[in-house]
Amino acid sequence: MSEREGEREMLLDVPVEPPVEMFLPIPRRFLEDAYRNDDYIVLVGPQHPGSGHMRIILRIKGDIIVEAIPDPGYVHRSMEKLAENRLYIQNIPLMERPAIMDTGNVTLGYVRAIEQALGIEVPERAKYIRTVLAELSRIGTHLYDAGILAVFLGHTTGFMWPFALREPVIEAMTRISGTRITSSFIIPGGIRRDVPWETLEFVRRVTYVLERRLKGFEKIFIKNPSVIARLKDVGVLSKQEAIKFGVVGPFLRASGVEYDVRRVEPYEAYDSLNWDVPVADEGDSYSRFLVRVEEIFQSLSIIRQAINELRSIPEGNVISPDVLDGYEEASSDIRGYFYRVFGNLVLPYGEYTSLTEASRGTLLYSIISDGESNVPYRVRVVTPGWYYLKGFMESLRGERLADLQAIYGSFGYFPPEADR
Amino acid sequence: MEAVYELLKAVSKEHFMENMVSIPLIQPVIDNLLNIPLVGYVVALILWKPMFALLIFPGLLTLMTVLLFIIWFERKLTARIQWRRGPLEILRWAGGIIQALADGLRYFFQEVIVHRDAHKPYFIQLPILIFIPVLLPLLFIPAGSIVGIKTPYALPVVVAIVSLIPVFIVAIGWASNSRFAYVGTIREAFMYFAYEIPFILSVVAMILVYGTADMTAIVEKQTIPGIILNPVAALVFFISTIMATSRLPFEIPEADQEIAFGPFVEYSGIMFGLVMTIAYEKMYILALLMSVLFLGGGNGFPIPLLGDLAPVIWMFLKTMAVMVALAFLRSIYARFRLDQALRLSWTTMLKISAVAVLIGAALNIAQVA
Repeated sequence: MSEREGEREMLLDVPVEPPVEMFLPIPRRFLEDAYRNDDYIVLVGPQHPGSGHMRIILRIKGDIIVEAIPDPGYVHRSMEKLAENRLYIQNIPLMERPAIMDTGNVTLGYVRAIEQALGIEVPERAKYIRTVLAELSRIGTHLYDAGILAVFLGHTTGFMWPFALREPVIEAMTRISGTRITSSFIIPGGIRRDVPWETLEFVRRVTYVLERRLKGFEKIFIKNPSVIARLKDVGVLSKQEAIKFGVVGPFLRASGVEYDVRRVEPYEAYDSLNWDVPVADEGDSYSRFLVRVEEIFQSLSIIRQAINELRSIPEGNVISPDVLDGYEEASSDIRGYFYRVFGNLVLPYGEYTSLTEASRGTLLYSIISDGESNVPYRVRVVTPGWYYLKGFMESLRGERLADLQAIYGSFGYFPPEADR
Repeated sequence: MEAVYELLKAVSKEHFMENMVSIPLIQPVIDNLLNIPLVGYVVALILWKPMFALLIFPGLLTLMTVLLFIIWFERKLTARIQWRRGPLEILRWAGGIIQALADGLRYFFQEVIVHRDAHKPYFIQLPILIFIPVLLPLLFIPAGSIVGIKTPYALPVVVAIVSLIPVFIVAIGWASNSRFAYVGTIREAFMYFAYEIPFILSVVAMILVYGTADMTAIVEKQTIPGIILNPVAALVFFISTIMATSRLPFEIPEADQEIAFGPFVEYSGIMFGLVMTIAYEKMYILALLMSVLFLGGGNGFPIPLLGDLAPVIWMFLKTMAVMVALAFLRSIYARFRLDQALRLSWTTMLKISAVAVLIGAALNIAQVA
């Protein structure tokens, strides 16, 4: 027994008390007021199964939400500060991190700000391939959000199908760029390398597969009476409210405002393609979801048109000669020349801003350069999640506690994106 | 002295043999076994109809098989619909059919955490005590001539005992003393009141149709299955069953994404294993009841070789059909909100169940006339 002394089970009586002083980002008056009015405060998150990496402080009267206060920042990674210590070109993969599903759009925004600073015109072929990549990302993100919405409503099939439908999208992105999600494929002046014709044909076939499969998804989830019952007339934002609270993207369009950066300030190949801006008038959770579903179909159409256009554009030359600067042999494939071309990239003095229509809404990049260093002086990123957080919280007001998840899913709120 | 004699007579082999399950197919084997001194006694005891009901069908053995099967089947079916494979690795050649057993074993070796705020005695007792109302109804449900306790009040007794289960769940939620458990308990209580009245009314409608509450008599009277005699009552009963077993779209008290398994949120280890199976066991009982009331119970064409086992097989198949239909719902519906479910049951379902009672009464009067 004595030699096994060390292995004996021991009871450690460590007095562990839960922390008494807890920080809540709300004024003391708010708590006292709720207490006096017989309301109670419910903290949803950050470890709640239906909250994601954020906390929502709810003041509840019975089952009705009186007020919702967000407590974001649990996945803040200080993108803006990190960006100040990296080369311009190294910031592309960094900026991809907040919304990895949305790689095409987030990198496109950053790269366009740089191109604007350098005054580069992107070759025609690169423009169309960028558009294809951006729309593939949009489809992927919308499917991802649809899955999250479904699982919030307890619909597991509605969760699994979009995630399975994402696979062809990701496969298409893999064949284009060589990696599944964080491709960093878009670079200042164009794209990393030309995409062969067979790959584009594969992407075109993927769009038809998706369209067919989405019909099944429509039957089981989108038109499902129990889903409609949960989403219809829930979390309504009127047109005026949506504008006032600064909601962006598909969520603004669901409230009846026809605003799309792709239409208002066309970039890449969007003005030469034929597509619609889906708009709904109700402004409830269901229309927010439907607008995004319709956007998937629009994106499929955009991809097909872009690939049809690409047929007539000769292969090669996907990087602008302005940035290549003597390395013209890299114009169809940057491999081997990347740091020789971009390592010493210095932007002229000034502030350069770009607006992009990312999947979840308007994405703003603002790069400030001091004109002499090869790292940005300051990069400002405002992601769509951060824009519509206020509208999200306001739409919770007056709804039931069980609706929190439905509204959350209808906004597709993605904490890493909002927190940056 | 007389009493002792009566008692000895009641536990004698001869007494058991008077009322034994007859299976012509293996009758020679049984006869041989009965002649062996001790084994014969045990065989006679097991084949004694009340004991058979308790141990084999609809009791222990079938219950265990059903639990094992339906959990696996539900997962497998959901997986197939969702383009997945489902349980596979455990007993690969059989498609992972003993997955539930493996999960149970794992639960056994996990720590049972009793948190500081729990009402400890109740917290530990209730998941075990709840098996009384969950398992007791099995004694009253007949399969042909095999029945645990034969009484003309079988149906009211079963309904009364089944109605006790939510009381235990509410008590579990109270003993857990946690926020999510509290919300889940309230939801369970709301749902309980909402489905209980249509449920009882649909049973009353069927009592009126058959003019008796004796389940054996009910099964005998069903030359036409009850679902054709009174389809409205069958619909109400089915929806009430979904609500009572908290299946989707009425999985409201246990909503995972909202309140993290509601009343059972604080349980871990084998205790969680126990509370998790409650809903499935309740589902089994209500499916048995549905097959007795609406699908003709043990009725079906007789299989001479199986004798008394034929009704057992018919009833088992009907029960499984009901359970499979219930399992199927999980992959097609989203969860309703509590107020929507309450509105549905307090308006539409109440009205429909009143119609069901009227149909039952009309059929009753027609029969009497």
